[in-house]
Amino acid sequence: MKTRILLPLAGAALLALTGCRTSMNSIENAQKTGQRQMISDSRVITDGSLAKKVSFVGVNQTMTPGGFLKIQIELLNRKHSLQRFSYQFEWFDANGMQINNIVSPTVPDQIEGGESKFISSVAPTSACKDFRVKFIEN
Amino acid sequence: MKKIILLFVMAAALPLVVGGCATPAHYIQTGGRESLVTVNSINIQDFIQAANDATSDLLASGALDKVANPPAVLAISRIVNNTGQQIDTDLLTKKIRVALLNSGKAQTTTTMGLGGTAEDPMAKGLQQESEFKSDQKATRTPDFTLSGKIIQTIAKDGNTSQSTFSFQLSLTDPKTGLAVWEGEKEITKQGGRPSVGF
Repeated sequence: MKTRILLPLAGAALLALTGCRTSMNSIENAQKTGQRQMISDSRVITDGSLAKKVSFVGVNQTMTPGGFLKIQIELLNRKHSLQRFSYQFEWFDANGMQINNIVSPTVPDQIEGGESKFISSVAPTSACKDFRVKFIEN
Repeated sequence: MKKIILLFVMAAALPLVVGGCATPAHYIQTGGRESLVTVNSINIQDFIQAANDATSDLLASGALDKVANPPAVLAISRIVNNTGQQIDTDLLTKKIRVALLNSGKAQTTTTMGLGGTAEDPMAKGLQQESEFKSDQKATRTPDFTLSGKIIQTIAKDGNTSQSTFSFQLSLTDPKTGLAVWEGEKEITKQGGRPSVGF
């Protein structure tokens, strides 16, 4: 009788422990041809829980042929489970004034366990000199 | 004493029962995290995302910079709606137009349209009048036309539904008839019932 109760319980515990665990392996060329122009960043962390799960690896920037600033951020999921978050880019001109952008979406995104992922955005005008990206856990 | 406590609890619960769990009307940020998400229809946040991706990709490509007299002049061609819902494609194209105008890279003509229909008939009339009086052609031929298609792909398994909306856009040089830029953004949503937020 006890076995009948214990067996499903053990099964459920096993599912709880392993069911949502995923982790990603990857391979890439060791001798890189492209050089990322990394920039120093300033971080404000108010959600320590999200920061522990999905961390910022680095930020690099480039200019598009049309003279627009392009930003790329590398994220790393430190957990072994899928994490969902949203982010939004904000752009500022040379005077630090925010540039109103009609198409500035809050982008829902997800990252697999152990995955390293890039998110990027192009400035809406060539007047954009600075940026800020907001992250929030879903 | 017990009766009083019971009555007090019941009185407190009454507004909840009468009012139900409906959320009172309030403002939210358009396209923000509180927006409603429905699987089988395109939500406003989907249009914003698709327009943002298309604009960013187009600006980064440099296709608009290859015109003799910048900024490039754009004419809006047909955007085909191949989804199950009735949508106004201006929800996509207007956002792209505004973003391109603000970028300084392109302007859109409102006096030329599909089948000779102008978006702004008054501007077209005044333009024709001006051309007649001055005996000079003032209309600038568009450097590019923007066309596209919105497609919905549906999948269902049990109570779970899935919809993928593909926003396909092409920028064509009318002189050559060749697409100088093409972009596609796919948004997939899955679920059993509508929800709030991402």
